[in-house]
Order: sequence, then C-alpha cells, then structure tokens
Amino acid sequence: MGTKTFNSNDIYHFEELISQEDRMIMDAAREYAQTQLEPRALEGNQDEQFDIGIAREMGDLGLLGVFIPEEYGGAGSSYTAYGVINRELDRVDSAYRSFVSVQSSLVMHPIHVFGTEEQRQKYLPRLATGEIIGCYGLTEPDHGSDPGSMITSAKKIDGGWKLNGSKTWITNSPIADLCVVWAKAYDGGDEDGVIRGFLIERGTEGLSTPKVKNKMSMRASPTGEIVMQDCFIPNENALPDIRGLKGPFSCLNNARFGIVWGVVGVAENCYQRARDYVLGRTQFGYPLASMQLIQTKLANMVTDITQMQLLAWRLGDLKDKDRATPEMVSLAKRNNAGAALNIARVARDMLGGNGITGDFRVIHHMMNMETVNTYEGTYDIHGLVLGRAITEIQSFVPRGNDQ
Amino acid sequence: MNILVCLKQILDPEVPVRDFAIDGSGLQADPNCANQMTNIFCENALETALQLKDAHGGKITVLSFGPDSVKDSLRKGLAMKANEAFMVLNNTGHQPDSAATAKVLAKAIGKMEPFDLVLTGREAGDWGAGQTGGLLAEELGLPYSAFVDEIEPEGEDRLILRQQTDSGWNKISAPKPVVASITNSDHNLPRIPKTRDIILANRKPLTSWSLEEVGISEDELAAEQQKARIKLLSIPEGKSDCEFIEGDSLEDKIDNLAERIVAIARSV
Repeated sequence: MGTKTFNSNDIYHFEELISQEDRMIMDAAREYAQTQLEPRALEGNQDEQFDIGIAREMGDLGLLGVFIPEEYGGAGSSYTAYGVINRELDRVDSAYRSFVSVQSSLVMHPIHVFGTEEQRQKYLPRLATGEIIGCYGLTEPDHGSDPGSMITSAKKIDGGWKLNGSKTWITNSPIADLCVVWAKAYDGGDEDGVIRGFLIERGTEGLSTPKVKNKMSMRASPTGEIVMQDCFIPNENALPDIRGLKGPFSCLNNARFGIVWGVVGVAENCYQRARDYVLGRTQFGYPLASMQLIQTKLANMVTDITQMQLLAWRLGDLKDKDRATPEMVSLAKRNNAGAALNIARVARDMLGGNGITGDFRVIHHMMNMETVNTYEGTYDIHGLVLGRAITEIQSFVPRGNDQ
Repeated sequence: MNILVCLKQILDPEVPVRDFAIDGSGLQADPNCANQMTNIFCENALETALQLKDAHGGKITVLSFGPDSVKDSLRKGLAMKANEAFMVLNNTGHQPDSAATAKVLAKAIGKMEPFDLVLTGREAGDWGAGQTGGLLAEELGLPYSAFVDEIEPEGEDRLILRQQTDSGWNKISAPKPVVASITNSDHNLPRIPKTRDIILANRKPLTSWSLEEVGISEDELAAEQQKARIKLLSIPEGKSDCEFIEGDSLEDKIDNLAERIVAIARSV
C-alpha cells in the first residue's frame, strides 16, 4: 500500500521525481539562498545593489556552471541540477538567478561548446569560481526579438577583428570582466555577414558598458549596454566553430531551461506567502482563507504550480537524455514564466495593502516577473516558435501588407 | 586523529505549527507532516570534527541509526567531507529512545576500528532529551563531556574540550578516547556542501548493517524501549488574546500596563 498524503506545497510529490543527487544539490542551494541571500534581497532590490561578493560565494559552492565538466571548474552535474539551483535562487530574487543564468548558460556554455581548448582553459575555471564575471551581448537597441537583423559588425583586419556596434539590455554588463558578443563578421569572403561570437575582455580599448538606469524590475541585477567603438579583438578571442544564429540560440535555450525551473520557485514562494497571509488575517470575523474567492485563487495557483513543476521536471529529464528540442523549451518557458507572472499578480492582490510593501516580498517577485516574461524570448515570440513547429509555417515576418 | 560523528535524522523542527501532526497511534509525530533533516546539533558536531581534521589531519566517520532515509543525512555528511559512512537500519517502524539508540550505536562502534573521539549533538530538535551522548559514553565505558563547542589536541594522547557554561566556559583535558556532545557556537556553523562534493559523495560507499549484524535483536531493542514508554502525545491548544491598555498620558499607560501584568501573573 502506498502512503496517501496531501502536501499543499508539493501536491503531486514532484520533488520525489528528482534524483537523490540532484535533491542534495537542491538542498544545498536552498540553504545558501535562504540563509545568505534572503537577508540581502530586499535591500539589494531597493538600493539596486548587487553585492559582488555573491559571485564568489556562489562560485565557492559550485553553483556557477554546475553542468560544466569538472576539468573546467564545473561539477559535471545533470541539467536538472542546474534547474533546481535556479528554482532556489529565484525563490529569493530572480536577480540572483539571472546572474547565475548568464554566467552559466550564456557565457560558460558557449565557451565550453564553441570555444577553443585555450579559451576553455583560460576562462572557464575563473568563471566557475566567480573570480571573473561574464555577460552576453545579442540584443541591440533596434533588434530584440529579431536578432538576425543585428547591425553590430566585426571587420577582419590583421591579427584579429574590429568590432563596432552596441548591445543593450545586457545582464551583468556593468560589472562584467568578459563579454560574449555576437556580431556579423565581414572578412571579404563567402561568409560575409554571417553571425559569429567574440570574447571581449574588460579593458579593451573602445569598449564601454554603461548602466541602464531607472529599472523598476530586477533591480538587484545590474543591466547595461555593451558599446564597441573600433574594438580590436585578437583572432584567439573569436569563437572558432560556430556560425549563424544557432550559436546564440543554443545559449538562450540553456538559459531558458533555467528560467523554466527558476520561476517555479517564484510561483511557489508567492503562493506560500499568500497562503500564510490569508490563513493569518481575519476580516469580517473570519480568516480570509475561509472566503470562497480566496480559496479558488489558491486552488488556481496550486493547479498552475503543479503543472509548472511537472513540466520543469520532464523537460529536465529530456534534456539530461539529450532529447529536449528548442520547441519543448519554448513551451515550458512560455507557460511557466506566464503562469508565474499571473500567480505573483494574484498573490499581490490577496495581500491587500500589505502586498504593496517590499517586506511581504510578493510585489518584488511580481515586478521581476514582468522582466522574466519578456526576456529570453517574450511570451508571444515563444508562441510563434511553437506555432511554426506545429504548422511548419513561420509567422515572424508579417506578410500581405507590403505594397 | 580518528573521529566518529553520530548523526540523527529528525523531522524538520521548523515546520509551521499548523502543519505539525501526530500520527494515528498518538505516540509519535506524523512522519509525513514535515521533511526529514539532519539534527542541527549533530551537524554542529560534524562541523567541529571537520575543523579539527582541517587543522590537524585525520579521518571522520559518520554513523546513524534509523530508517533507510538516514542515508540522506549520511550522504550529506560525506558531501561535507566526512570520509566514511555507516548506518544501522531500523525497520521496526518505531523511534527508539536515547537509551536504545546509545545501545545500538555502541554495538556498531564495537564493530568498527577504534576512535580517538566520538561526537554527538547536544540534543535533538525532536525530543530534546540530550541523553544519547552520555548514555553512549556509559555503554562504551569512556569519559564524557557535554556542551562542548571547541576541541583542540593536547599532545599525542589527550584533548582539550571547551565546555560552555552559564557564565563562560570550562577547558577540560581528557584522555583519548573520549565522548563529547557538541553544542552550537559562532564558529561551528555547519558548512554548506559544495556541488562537486555532493556528486562525489554519491559515488562513495555507504555501509548499512541490520540490527542482527551489530549483535542486537529486535526483541532486545523492544525490551529496551519498555523502560520508558510514551503513553500519549497531544498538541496543546494555543489561545491568544489582544488587549489595549488605555491611559491619559504615557506615564498612566505605563502604570496601567504594569498593574495589568502583575494581575495576570497573580491569576496564573
């Protein structure tokens, strides 16, 4: 006979599906996030402060690039392990998860997969310890969902490349030591205009990374631009073996996978805070939790969260078996980020006036989810990715209106 | 130095009051009402041992008596950098008391290589009896010190145990081998295991013995349990009330508050 229990935080016992090793990594990440990050989160958000020591702390525990092989400073873990780490960091503040996403998926991953052995040896161990911080430049001021139209250029010159252009909405760029930048390469040959990846170190002449100011969301995560004015990048800093958009998309696919897991933590935290609040607050002589309107809101939340948990787990399982396609990731990123945003908004509402203050934390998550639902492929763009896969007709480019 | 650290797995003592439940027997907490975790004082003990090993070398073995789930605590111990892990499987479905636990642990220790130092937590976050360390020392016939928060070698054959007291601490010199129960302090906060060490810990062997294999039968264990039995557990009903103290001035309010406190204290 099985044991029949109802756990309102994990209704379908999804944590049991996670391997013992990955659960231990989850527990370690949870302990770190709750004891070390949670006390700093509200102030970090209010003061737009990312404590640089966090990078070293995370590096010391092996939370950066956990899936990268040990020989390059990672732990050689499963992708599900990466997922559960994201869930625990996001439970506190998506700004911290974003830091790990960028460092792991958008910087360490391309260097590991597309880099030379020298590049791997030179950068990966120091990125894994948090000694150096990376950022990733794809989006441009006029090219967000349509990165193929980027105008940043890399012109072949003696001994290297000359880069010009600007990237924006770049997580970590103001504090980064290393920028992975995607640009259209012009070498005068057959591959003119093909997208290639470049590694630009802080201190390169012509490089600047001004901060994006007045963000109302993800405030503890430093966001900026990467401005390149005749930046000379030596040949050894070009990623050798990748051409076209599949390079940057491979990175985004990994980062989106992290988001799929991360926002589960956000939704769970908002739901748990809302549940605690309505059980404890009495109005009209009865706890809020006894009201039908409140109970159906909680029911909707746990229904969505259960779907999010199981989607995240199954996607991790498929990714660990090397069977996950980009469309699967799009489906889960779209569903989970959208659901987390909605849950955060409803939780904010359930907390009434108290939900307006940062002390109760749900409005912090709610504002963050506006970013997460938008970045790494907007909710709608992932719908179009799925639409293309279902119909085999792309609908990104509007047709029929050109005269 | 060869150090043994005993780890107890308990239900998360931080479980919210409204989620805590007693099982149908009325004799123990419902094991499904909270997550299982390693008792924090046992982790303080392991951290104390790890710091001793980091500074002076040696080997650390972790040992637990409990159901199959104690493997999680032992694996975490290995991930924190203990060298070896052993368990005695309790599949009786009952939670042993301190005396029974000490007896089983002593039997297991008898099967292992000799230790210079045996550590337990000060008490466990479930029952808070604080008896296992002392009873284990009695079973092993070894000296014992409680409330220890720091250990240093003293020459080859002795250890200095720093014991917390109400007003400060005692430094006790004890011959090896010795048993100590460890309390928490600022400097033995358990380390969080690193991801790489977690993965390595899952590749290390973990030895599991049955009760019979350590030389104690289920009947003997049951007999031990008969000495002190729990008759019934119940959750006290909490009542809270809120009263506003009035007064014309701050001084009046303070006086009225003081009078009210005295009145309540007298009525209790």
